[in-house]
Amino acid sequence: MKITAGYLPGLKSSEVQWHTLGFGAGAQQVDVLVPQLTPAQLHTLAAHVRNQGRTQLKSMPVTQIIAAIDRAIERLLNPADPYRLELALLLPRISGFDAEMVRLGLNAYLKTFRAPQLQRFVAEDFSNPKLLDEFQPRAKGGMARALGPELLVHVWAGNVPGLPLWSLVCGLLVKAPAIGKVASAEPLFASLFARLLAEVEPRLAEVLAIVWFKGGDTASERALFAEADTVLAYGGNDTLTALRQQVPVSTRFLPHGHKLSVGLVSAAALDVAHAPATARAAALDVVRYEQQGCYSPHTYYVARGGRVTPREFAQQLAGELAALQHKFARRTLTLEESASMAGWRQGQEMQGFTGAGVELLGDAGAAWCVAYAEQASALLPCALNRTVQVQAVDRLEDTLPLLAAQREVLQTVGLAAAPQELHALAERLGAAGATRLCAIGQMTAPEAGWHHDGRFSLLDLVRMVELEQSAEDAAEQFAPYRD
Amino acid sequence: MAEAVHPSSQPASGIVPDLLAFIARPDEGENSFNALALRLFAHQFQHNTAFQKFCQQRGRTPRTVKSWRDIPAVPINGFKDLTLSCVPPEACERVFMTSGTTRGDVKGRHYHPQLQVYDLSMTLNFRQRFMAGRERMRFGVLFPSEQLMPNSSLAHYLALALHKFGTPESRYYLDTEGLQVDALCATLAQVQASGEPFALLGASYSFVHLMDALQARGLTFRLPAGSRLLDTGGFKGQSREMDMDAFYDALASTFGVPRSACINMYGMTELSTQFYDAGNAVLPAVKSGPHWIRTRVLDPLTRQESPKGERGILAHTDLGNFNSVTTILTEDVGVAVAGGFLLLGRAQGAQAKGCSLAVDEFLRAAQS
Repeated sequence: MKITAGYLPGLKSSEVQWHTLGFGAGAQQVDVLVPQLTPAQLHTLAAHVRNQGRTQLKSMPVTQIIAAIDRAIERLLNPADPYRLELALLLPRISGFDAEMVRLGLNAYLKTFRAPQLQRFVAEDFSNPKLLDEFQPRAKGGMARALGPELLVHVWAGNVPGLPLWSLVCGLLVKAPAIGKVASAEPLFASLFARLLAEVEPRLAEVLAIVWFKGGDTASERALFAEADTVLAYGGNDTLTALRQQVPVSTRFLPHGHKLSVGLVSAAALDVAHAPATARAAALDVVRYEQQGCYSPHTYYVARGGRVTPREFAQQLAGELAALQHKFARRTLTLEESASMAGWRQGQEMQGFTGAGVELLGDAGAAWCVAYAEQASALLPCALNRTVQVQAVDRLEDTLPLLAAQREVLQTVGLAAAPQELHALAERLGAAGATRLCAIGQMTAPEAGWHHDGRFSLLDLVRMVELEQSAEDAAEQFAPYRD
Repeated sequence: MAEAVHPSSQPASGIVPDLLAFIARPDEGENSFNALALRLFAHQFQHNTAFQKFCQQRGRTPRTVKSWRDIPAVPINGFKDLTLSCVPPEACERVFMTSGTTRGDVKGRHYHPQLQVYDLSMTLNFRQRFMAGRERMRFGVLFPSEQLMPNSSLAHYLALALHKFGTPESRYYLDTEGLQVDALCATLAQVQASGEPFALLGASYSFVHLMDALQARGLTFRLPAGSRLLDTGGFKGQSREMDMDAFYDALASTFGVPRSACINMYGMTELSTQFYDAGNAVLPAVKSGPHWIRTRVLDPLTRQESPKGERGILAHTDLGNFNSVTTILTEDVGVAVAGGFLLLGRAQGAQAKGCSLAVDEFLRAAQS
């Protein structure tokens, strides 16, 4: 089947060149047409979206924007809604992820974008959300107001369904008209969301545009970034470095690099009653979106001293992964992914030879693999696609130097620990570079309004305008009612 | 160097003469290949501790391995991490090392107690696949000599070619000073005038450097009929990357040698035998080797053979590898076709499709 992605307010689709991205094979094949604009068309589109933003979006109170997003999300949460049906049909085909996994993941994710969550999201960054609507008095005197970008550009990466929604919503909440560049791996979600938003709120119909060009197309990147006052980009460090070179020096560049996450299991969680549930939760964090997310675990460090040993925990985890394969089958790997996984397995085996004692659970044909080691070693990424390391430690504190060595890329730490341990560890994990601590089993479902990679998702987008007390005082001198 | 024969190398003494005879005889089919492969496997299992462990982890022993296809394929990284030799490394006449393009700091090592087997394998095969019926030809070599690069299997290969198949005027055109463009231009002009067929051999990237240099001088040649080119190894970041079609077009137009006489050799430090195609008129060209090496196309994870026509990772069983391991798993992607296989490039590291860090990106970052 053939579908069209992209969203181009103000441009005629007949004037635009369309490129076909193919996904899947046989009856499951989907061809997605994506718009490939010339630099001149990008310029026209940017001007249109910027103007529409000025007249339509900037004047909308935040509460009305939240209400509009909420209406769109409500539609997407309705299993009978045509937009949701389209996502349900196409996202698994495009991403290769299991359909039921996509359904559950999408529901959990979308629920974090309902009106109350969005209000909390704004309140998280703005103690007074009205700062986004008009000048507000400051405690120190004078007034202030927060203004979003005149044009925000998003560069999305990857195929994790719904990922673009995160930054799209951030932009809308600060009233930034935006152009999003979708990834070749998943061009659909953002396009559908832009169309749906236009349907539920006509004022938002022309303030978002969705385009595509090939990664590394520097001419398009330069043309697009020259229009923006903020560029928000996702991708690997190579990609981000290349993108940064195309961003004018005066333009704000907000890169989100690839990250690495881990889980810690305390001896307190390793009694006969609790260990199986923890292992199951840990397996779910591995299976969800095949570890493609920045919050997905690569290694579980497991403390010795519980009734269940770290090795037994690794075996339980392996058992859960085997069971989950029946419920959520792993997507078919490309030859390159298989080779990468085989390379990882070989590396683990070689370590086994040299005496580090690595044991592979799961044979080469299995759709998952646990590499168990009696000793913790330097934190390295696994091969994704349900490969995970389990390493024994005497105390969870022993992991801190290993984590700190990767502070540049460390993100989420999933924890199964007793309260006293939890709070003591939280302090030190933060110091080691972690930006998010959560329960094991919740690693792939961040709370609404989380500070992605420890940054202020909304505050980073705005600029503050301060009206100082001196201006107010001086104005008094020129008032018609002055004495 | 290997005058004193180590006791543990004794069992090889029976195998090596048999192996040399096997290589020298014409193809005797599957059974005879299988029998020798199993003998070599038993020998390597017994005398190579690292390989023995590797096999045991896969539940493979001489008892359970009934066919050469059952011999566990050692990933080429094994040549970096393990000592794959049946005799102590210090008892080896020569060690060939990889150039270290993938894991910069660690080089793979292939131990050769003696080079008799390697040399016989190379010369018989080279005569048949490159010499086109000639006993000798005038050679130009675009690669450093064996003295300059004693651990390079390619340097040894080219030295053998020069020594065994080159006429007395044959020589190297690359030394510590780099490519000797002036001398080579003079030679090319001379053979062009004399009508004597000429062969130019070297690394693919050296050809790129040479063609760039000739282009800068505005020079092209029309080498006499019967002239041939042999390139090998790809570009490895040593020269600009060229599309292979453009590369062979450029070779043909620069030297006046038809693409059908441009032979690509596919060899590896981890092997003792090379593969050739029969010219590169059409890409990708079918590669094949002699009767003492067999190639399979495998699924990298299950190690099962891929159905004919489907892509997979190449595994080679080279009986010439009598001292290391006969069967290696490469990182090269290929597909089995009638008469051999197509080489489709390296299995590039899989990029993460989401925002999770992937191993390859991590390693690249760690190296830079």
